[in-house]
Amino acid sequence: MHEAPILVIDDDLAIRDTVSEILVFEGYHVVTAANGADGLRFAEQSWPALILLDMRMPIMDGWAFTHALRARGATPPIVVMTAAQDARRWAQEIGATGYLAKPFELHDLLDVVARLYGI
Amino acid sequence: MSADQLVQYLSWTVFVLIFVSTSIWAARHPQRANIDIALFFSAPTAIIAIGTAAVFGLVQAGPLINAVNTSLLLAMGYMLLRIVDDFAIVSVWLMRGAGAALAVLVAGAFVFQPPRPNWLNLLMLLYLVVVLLYAAGAFIRESRRSSGVTRRRMRSVAAGSILLVQLFIISSLNLVAPALQNTWQVLADICGLAAGVCYFLGFTPPRPLRRAWQEPELRAFLGRPASLPRLPDTQAILRALERGAATSLGANARIGLWSEAERALIFPQGDPTYRLDPDEPIPPARAFRDQAPVFGANIPSNYPTYAEYSRRVGAITVLAAPITAGERRLGVLVAYASRTPIFAEDDLALLQLLADQAAVILESRALIDEATRVRAYEEATRLKEDFLSAAAHDLKTPLTTLVARTQLLERRAQRDPMAPADLVSIQLLVNEAQRLKRLVLELLDAARAEQGRLVSVRTVVDLVPLASQICQRHDSARHPCVVEASEPVIGTYDQIRIQQLLENLIENAIKYSPAGGGVRVRLWNEDQQTHLTVTDNGIGIPPEDLPHIFDRFYRAHNVDDRRFAGMGLGLFICRGIAEQHGGQIRVSSRPAQGSTFHVVLPLAREEVAIYA
Repeated sequence: MHEAPILVIDDDLAIRDTVSEILVFEGYHVVTAANGADGLRFAEQSWPALILLDMRMPIMDGWAFTHALRARGATPPIVVMTAAQDARRWAQEIGATGYLAKPFELHDLLDVVARLYGI
Repeated sequence: MSADQLVQYLSWTVFVLIFVSTSIWAARHPQRANIDIALFFSAPTAIIAIGTAAVFGLVQAGPLINAVNTSLLLAMGYMLLRIVDDFAIVSVWLMRGAGAALAVLVAGAFVFQPPRPNWLNLLMLLYLVVVLLYAAGAFIRESRRSSGVTRRRMRSVAAGSILLVQLFIISSLNLVAPALQNTWQVLADICGLAAGVCYFLGFTPPRPLRRAWQEPELRAFLGRPASLPRLPDTQAILRALERGAATSLGANARIGLWSEAERALIFPQGDPTYRLDPDEPIPPARAFRDQAPVFGANIPSNYPTYAEYSRRVGAITVLAAPITAGERRLGVLVAYASRTPIFAEDDLALLQLLADQAAVILESRALIDEATRVRAYEEATRLKEDFLSAAAHDLKTPLTTLVARTQLLERRAQRDPMAPADLVSIQLLVNEAQRLKRLVLELLDAARAEQGRLVSVRTVVDLVPLASQICQRHDSARHPCVVEASEPVIGTYDQIRIQQLLENLIENAIKYSPAGGGVRVRLWNEDQQTHLTVTDNGIGIPPEDLPHIFDRFYRAHNVDDRRFAGMGLGLFICRGIAEQHGGQIRVSSRPAQGSTFHVVLPLAREEVAIYA
């Protein structure tokens, strides 16, 4: 059992639940948020081991979230998770550790998480 | 030599000079109008010649000479009428009547020796005054109808006719008060001199004067090249160019544009269906073919196959000049008038100047158009890319769940084959699959809207039961839906699309009234059109979003993506449905108060194939 949670931030409820269930099934502890602002609140409380981050979201998007997180001195690995064609570029822009282009395969998600969890 | 003698000799000289110059002109250009003008001045010249001959004793003054002089004077009236006919048009009956009157009066002049009976003198005076006043009136009318140099020429001729009337009236005062004979003579000579000058300037204006008269319009025309290419469209530029050329020349003008595709000249401002083959013999085609200005007089008799056409458009005499920018043959500038003497030979140079000006303006317009086309193409490409990436993004979202969730189910089933079916997951998958289906259909509709292929089979539809049905289906306690219509609202529409339009608008009304609130659908007929409004009391649309609300992928700023699902294609498709029925869709809205969408559709199919 992995103790530190993985934070999943995505405005799409179905994706959020699916990703969360997949990770829980593999034994991870998961918290979810529907936008950057909610995500930031969780991150401050629970110091996630890894963040899976959608970029285009209402209220606070992925860029603003990363900026705010860094401003608080936190540096957990971030994996950008987006349906946009610019997934790789956006990941570089915010200095993310990795990216998942939607729609992603289950094993890609698990590989990335396994590789980055706890580093 | 006394002053009155001086005036007389001066006026004689002027008339003789005018006669000589108009005769030379008529000999060089033997057209009816030119000959008529020379003939008109031959009468006073003959009178002067006879008078001079009498001074030198070559002829004996007597009743015969007097009768000849009187006849010549009377003939001047008739001749003037012929000139009027050349410039304007005189009715056949008037011409015949004047001819008959002339014959009778000339006979009278020879039968009755002077002093003639007063009634005959009065008749002669009456004849001349009537004819001359008619001529003056005709020229004034013609000057009102024409512009530029032609207007000035007609005014001058009208003034000449009025002066001649005065001359005859003054001459006849001689009979009333013979004691003042010398005074009358001087006044008459002055009037005669002035009339001669007026006629000369009007009928055969010397080149410098013609130029001076053309100058104001020409200057105005040539001063516009900077502003013209910026006019909204090529049609407006053509209109302005044609108007400019027309007023500069005092005639009508048309521009024919060369169409490489049709290998013909097209006159967009004239008859746009007319195609002129450049191999035709008429001046506009010749000017284009030979790349040189061409003058053509009397088109109906010179080109009999064009007689009917040229009479119909009033192009009896034609000037044409090629519009060519460098190597690019753009078209022809054609000036035409229904009367021959409007143009002079040297107008060709002026027309070429105007055509060159037109070439510069049309060429810069073409460059502007070209730049606009490139920009429009880039914009279209960008829109297409936006569309693709937005569509891809929206399709990938449900796909992500479908792919990951099915693989999760597979993984679970592999680990624990006996586990019960995960109904929650299956429900989620069904929902996402439905969402994907809706998105794909919506995208396909948007693509069809883009290509104008939304509307297909049309039938006669009553919109009232259709709207009631959809309304009923969406009716709820939170969002009561009512349809208001006092009569059937029937038109020829694509029923499935109209249904989609209504459904979209009603669903939007409900979707954007999250706090609840009624939806009101109104239908009525007005001005041969079908009107339909859908009103809600929802969140409304911010004013800055209103102009874009029907744009593809556009969503208003007060729409929270999380609360209101959608791609921003619904209203775009609605607009497509309305417009492809030949109608339109409008919206009025106030934030936090609600919106009204107003659709206007023509009753029957519009045969305008904009999207064909």
